[in-house]
Amino acid sequence: MATRNRTLIFRKYRDALKSVRVPTSSSPSTSSVGGVGGGGPVIELASTSLLNPNRKYAPLSTEDPGAFTVGLPPAWVDVSEEIAANVQRARMKMVELAKAHAKALMPSFGDGKEDQRTIEGLTQEITGLLRKSEKQLKRLAAAGPSEDSNVRKNVQRSLATDLQNLSMELRKKQSTYLKRLRQQNEGQDGDDLEMNLNGGRSIIDDDNLDDMVFNEHQMAKLKKSEAFTVEREREIQQASKCSWPFVVESVNELAQIMKDLSVLVIDQGTIVDRIDYNIQNVATTVEEGLKQLQKAERTQKRGGMVMCATVLVIMCAVMLILLILKTILF
Amino acid sequence: MVLVSAARDYVNRMLQDISGMKVLILDSQTVSIVSVVYSQSELLQKEVFLVELVDSISKSKESMSHLKAVYFLRPTLENIQHLRRQLANPRFGESHLFFSNMLKDTQIHILADSDEQEVVQQVQEYYADFVAIDPYHFTLNIPSNHMYMLPAVVDPPGLQQFCDRIVDGISTVFLALKRRPVIRYQRTSDIAKRIAQETSKLMYQQESGLFDFRRTEISPLLLIVDRRDDPVTPLLNQWTYQAMVHELIGIHDNKVDLSSTGKLPKDQQEVVLSSEQDAFFKANMYENFGDIGMSIKRMVDDFQQVAKSNQNIQTIEDMAKFVDSYPEYRKMHGNVSKHVTLVTEMSKIVGERRLMLISEREQDLACNGGQVAAFEAVANLLNNESVSDIDRLHLVMLYALRYEKESPVQLMQLFNKLASQSPKYKPGLVQFLLKQAGVDKRTGDLYGNRDLLNIARNMARGLKGVENVYTQHQPLLFQTMESIIKGRLRDVDYPFVGNHFQQGRPQDVVIFIVGGTTYEESRSVALQNASNSGTRFILGGSVVLNSKRFLKDLEEAQRIAKSSTNVV
Repeated sequence: MATRNRTLIFRKYRDALKSVRVPTSSSPSTSSVGGVGGGGPVIELASTSLLNPNRKYAPLSTEDPGAFTVGLPPAWVDVSEEIAANVQRARMKMVELAKAHAKALMPSFGDGKEDQRTIEGLTQEITGLLRKSEKQLKRLAAAGPSEDSNVRKNVQRSLATDLQNLSMELRKKQSTYLKRLRQQNEGQDGDDLEMNLNGGRSIIDDDNLDDMVFNEHQMAKLKKSEAFTVEREREIQQASKCSWPFVVESVNELAQIMKDLSVLVIDQGTIVDRIDYNIQNVATTVEEGLKQLQKAERTQKRGGMVMCATVLVIMCAVMLILLILKTILF
Repeated sequence: MVLVSAARDYVNRMLQDISGMKVLILDSQTVSIVSVVYSQSELLQKEVFLVELVDSISKSKESMSHLKAVYFLRPTLENIQHLRRQLANPRFGESHLFFSNMLKDTQIHILADSDEQEVVQQVQEYYADFVAIDPYHFTLNIPSNHMYMLPAVVDPPGLQQFCDRIVDGISTVFLALKRRPVIRYQRTSDIAKRIAQETSKLMYQQESGLFDFRRTEISPLLLIVDRRDDPVTPLLNQWTYQAMVHELIGIHDNKVDLSSTGKLPKDQQEVVLSSEQDAFFKANMYENFGDIGMSIKRMVDDFQQVAKSNQNIQTIEDMAKFVDSYPEYRKMHGNVSKHVTLVTEMSKIVGERRLMLISEREQDLACNGGQVAAFEAVANLLNNESVSDIDRLHLVMLYALRYEKESPVQLMQLFNKLASQSPKYKPGLVQFLLKQAGVDKRTGDLYGNRDLLNIARNMARGLKGVENVYTQHQPLLFQTMESIIKGRLRDVDYPFVGNHFQQGRPQDVVIFIVGGTTYEESRSVALQNASNSGTRFILGGSVVLNSKRFLKDLEEAQRIAKSSTNVV
């Protein structure tokens, strides 16, 4: 893939012309040959330490100092950065959650209640972060068809896509974990039963002299295995019960989030995903907006409702006066 | 993948090294170039939060210094002027300039002069000056396409502009592929010769340093042919999916505009038909209409199954599964309704215009012999009330192209009948077509009746019978490609430029059709490439034709030719 860099020639011309234009000025020329200006790298590095290196929302313009007025970015950029930071935090917590899931699935002694609690805690944290981000996302919307509003809309879309992907990932992780958990418990249960039965059978095979004693032994063993089974079942149910209402709740929440987000997220492959369509649409939305405003103005001026209400009020007042007159006169 | 991936790589490189929020500024041509290979959601991932056209961006005065500007423009006079104004009053933090073709030194000078505030960080040439609509098919979307039919004396600057645009486009294809080709052109076409020579001059003399790539054993081949060598293909009705949509409705930059077809919901009025993004389309774009109907039915059945299972939500698990699969469900729904709408619309048009009947005649005229039978058939159809004017015109043109010399009296009869029945018909159009693309002007063996081998082949085919009457036509391009593969492209018909020479058979071939390509031809190329013959073909043209566009160019050229002769 061939390209050609004309920056050097460009800079050469620019410097030559500058010295011709303003021979007395001593403004510093850009020294670095790369893409970023002089003051840039410092600002870039500062912001990267705060945010994920893949998402550099470097707000301040990276200009040569003194070249022209450095404008501050508008306030909504802060909101978008906050959302991005939350998304990043949620992502990190998901990694932790994956680890906790793996740990809980490993066979271990003890009842693993602590693992359950950490998992629940993490999941709740993540869902909370996603919900908060989604609420903040609504604040990014702007009114009026301006270039700034387009930028905001696009930032909104991009963050909405990230949020949706995260929530889907969370759902998938949850469901695989629960599935595996249930498989594990059932497997254990089956194994225990088998072991007990085998144990019981071997005793039957070996000891066949004393039936009475044996029967008691056998009965005791069976009873014990029964109790064991019941206990295990209860434990499974408890584990599921702990999870199920939680699952229902989180499914509800995530469904709500996804419904809200799906309005914002662009469906890939559709016409809305085309750059030329979006450029055209800017022009048409401006016109549409104007038409809507005019229509609204007209409807308001006619104000059928307002007239109706006024007429009714006047009639009420007239009736009231007539009533008073009636009581006074008669 | 070749062309599309090359264009995508360029756009990726433009955006990846620039951090922070960006605005992408394009001109009316580069919008097409970028839109067919890059989607809005991908731009958002690269933090491009605004896309603007260079002429509209000058109108606003808002300062947005928190955005960095990435310009991707063609190096034309207008764009340089726009840039001058914007650099003098910069609205954005930084500016990065990318041009889709080679800049002249004077242009760099002008830009450097106006960059008083030193906002420009880099100036690069990224050679993506073609619209890559399919992996092996590109176009240049030239508006003044009719120029190729006019002699040079009529409008020298217009013709120069036309040729320049083509040379620019072709050279960037080779720069993107990093190869320098050997050039051949169609002998009988002056404009093909001119373009071939100018391209050769650019690649071998003017910018030879830029084109000096690692030489492989066998250089690739650039073949420049003229549309008028095969005027039949654009006039025929098509029955394979992509070609048919373009012929009946119209595809522009992989978008189909359905707004004229009646009441559709707002988000369905324009749809995207891109083989890169739509798996169903990719699998079916070259299939004929009957098979498409079946595939769509299968797709609808699958979708109904999914929809039914989604309605049957009883347990929490089902609910969870539904929430997980909702985005995919939505995408499937959109895709299904898009294809169903397209096919419904096309079926409606086929019914209205009686295209099955007409197309059978057209294919006969294009492929089989028998002048007497053909004349009768065409005369009958001309008399038929339900045949539309445009189809009558097609039939007469196809008849005239084939039987130009055989029975002038009958030909005259058809012309008169056509003129009397079609009120909008511009008289002399068919004669103009014959003058441009008649049998004397053509090089290739369009009807397979010039050399013995082709006649034998035709007879064999006639005896064997065809699989599908409606798709029996093979464009002339197919024969050209076969000759290239066998290394038997005749020097007499397709000479080399200058002292180029090629030994052996080329492995990469770019065929450029001056005057426009058709989707039938791109299908031929794609099928040829899929057959792994060891040679890879890429097809390009000044526009993508359908019969409507071809006739429009013809009419425009006729009008200009007439007015210029009047002046002279």
